[in-house]
Amino acid sequence: MTFEIEQDGTRRRVTVRQAGDAWVVEIDGREVEVSVVERAGRWSMLVGPVDGPAKAGQDNPDVVSGFSRTSSYEVAFEPGAGGELIVHVNGVAVPVTIDQPGLSKPWAKAARQRRGRGAGDGATGDAPRTIVAPMPGRIVKVLVKPDEVVAARQPLVVVEAMKMENELRAPRAGIVAEVRVAEGASVEANTVLVVLR
Amino acid sequence: MRKILIANRGEIAVRIIRACRDLQIATVAVYSDCDRAARHVRMADEAVAIGGNPPSDSYLRIDRIVDAANATGAHGVHPGYGFLAENEEFAAACRDAGLTFIGPRPEAIALMGSKTAARAAAMAAGVDVVPGTETPLTADAGEDEIARIADRIGYPVMVKAVAGGGGKGMRVVGSRDELSGAVRAARSEAGAAFGDSAIYLERRLSRPRHIEVQVLADHHGTVLPFVERECSIQRRHQKVVEESPSAIVSVDLRTRLTAAAASVAASVGYTNAGTMEFLLDAAGRFYFLEMNTRLQVEHPVTEMVTGVDLVEWQIRIARGEPLTIDPAQSLTPRGHAIECRVYAEDPDSGFLPSPGRITDVRPPSGPGIRDDSGVEAGDEVPVYYDALISKLVAWGSSRQQAVSRMRRAVAEYDVRGIRTTVPFFRWLLDQPVFRDAAFDTEFLDTLLQQRRGKSFSEPESSLREVALIAAALHASRATASRPRGLAESAWTQQAKREILQ
Repeated sequence: MTFEIEQDGTRRRVTVRQAGDAWVVEIDGREVEVSVVERAGRWSMLVGPVDGPAKAGQDNPDVVSGFSRTSSYEVAFEPGAGGELIVHVNGVAVPVTIDQPGLSKPWAKAARQRRGRGAGDGATGDAPRTIVAPMPGRIVKVLVKPDEVVAARQPLVVVEAMKMENELRAPRAGIVAEVRVAEGASVEANTVLVVLR
Repeated sequence: MRKILIANRGEIAVRIIRACRDLQIATVAVYSDCDRAARHVRMADEAVAIGGNPPSDSYLRIDRIVDAANATGAHGVHPGYGFLAENEEFAAACRDAGLTFIGPRPEAIALMGSKTAARAAAMAAGVDVVPGTETPLTADAGEDEIARIADRIGYPVMVKAVAGGGGKGMRVVGSRDELSGAVRAARSEAGAAFGDSAIYLERRLSRPRHIEVQVLADHHGTVLPFVERECSIQRRHQKVVEESPSAIVSVDLRTRLTAAAASVAASVGYTNAGTMEFLLDAAGRFYFLEMNTRLQVEHPVTEMVTGVDLVEWQIRIARGEPLTIDPAQSLTPRGHAIECRVYAEDPDSGFLPSPGRITDVRPPSGPGIRDDSGVEAGDEVPVYYDALISKLVAWGSSRQQAVSRMRRAVAEYDVRGIRTTVPFFRWLLDQPVFRDAAFDTEFLDTLLQQRRGKSFSEPESSLREVALIAAALHASRATASRPRGLAESAWTQQAKREILQ
């Protein structure tokens, strides 16, 4: 079974096939052998060379050093924002998006459409046009005016919630179309605060 | 005292319940609607609903909390920190209802709660304060008068709220033309936050350290100071990491600092636990800043290096016992302790709060590690309260060992479902400025400014590959007939349903 998996802007082809009790996984033409045991929602994953250490290590130096012997990882999964799958490897969160070519996967398509989070500077694309309050709070400061040009990640509004002041930033570069709140106002979760165009 | 009501929630309520258990005292939790099944409620012996989710409708309701204490037959009330902990009306209401308030007298809370009165008390006790105004500047104070005072103190000057705290109503003013605007802004912020727009001015020290001294004082005239805590690691005036002892405080300086703290406490007849905050300048001079008339968030680091259970002693003092701790124990650090405040915040989105359900959590443990947590897997972090979910504390025989153990602990700490500041600590503990303890109260904001926009959760390349492999196996399980050895869990089904929504 072959998947296209996107991670941090890079798409990689990953093929999986069963080999006895274990799995052989191929990334960009290189193969590793993987054993998986699940314990209460966590995977113990052993990753090593398919035919012993001798064959390991042709192209990518990272992979050579990483998988020339059997390495042990602990892995867990959770759904991320916008259809991503968050893979926790040894406690470090790695967000990925999975596609299986040739199969219509509504969730994968939706994920592609909703993506844009963390898409880098100057990103425009599908990133949302509205900035909403993530939780109930009070507007401490409005930092932009209508028609102002803003860069991606530029702070737009300061909201006080959970006893802290929080900056809400532009998800992408754009022009402020509307500011819908005033300083001092109390807002509910999901109230639209600023609209970009 | 055989039963205590804890007028708080989260990790501190859990901490106090544990101290009560150690003393074989029964516990009563109080809770708002969304906290019905919170950890502190599950742990307590009894629990009483006190209202709706906003703090003003529950954890700040003096009347309902006192009623709950009376209805359950509690003898004492522990306020924790935050909420009503420094509210003299609450302390008085407990006293009037015949309950023992586990903290200082209401008069001491009122006196030390006013920043200007506290400064005056410190000066009267012969302790230096940061040069500044001695009386509050109320709304009547004219602009010219304020400008004259600022000239006398010298720029840069701090404008601060008399009733202030947590960096609210605070402004730094570099020159005379910025003054009136800053005063206006500080007044309106202070008025909104504390219902009191009075301000005062204070000289701004250049890159000071924030050092504080814990004291315990009994009802028999004994005041006992403890080894200092280093609290300079702050983000926007909020402490994020605390240590004890401070890496730069000498035995001589410790003697003078702790004596100053004890004399201020003694001069106002203070009782129970409190903390004197000082600023330490580059020349080693220290100035009294303010007093916190309650248990501090960071009290565990003091407990770890002195072996004294501060919460237990708060209760013992409140029930009239004399302090019997040897000053040699409280003033001689045994090893070194560090605390990281783990918040439900996303460090990669400017530390935006990250409330929600914790799907799984595995706290670290092992030699030298203590995790004072208020949550478990399945718990909800509500949007209504402070986002502190746990305080991770590492102890070592030296600072270096404590740091190594903390690095191990934050690498082990695994929280899923919400974002936390754990990845931020993994980064911070590796910073040379932190390793060398060469920090001041501004270093973290400067450092964060420099790395703005960069993620704290950048996985190394080998982990990225492992994630790809795991994701492919996860997906093959989801699409193919169930492969051998990999039964699809209910959790995976749930995850897919959520993705489809």
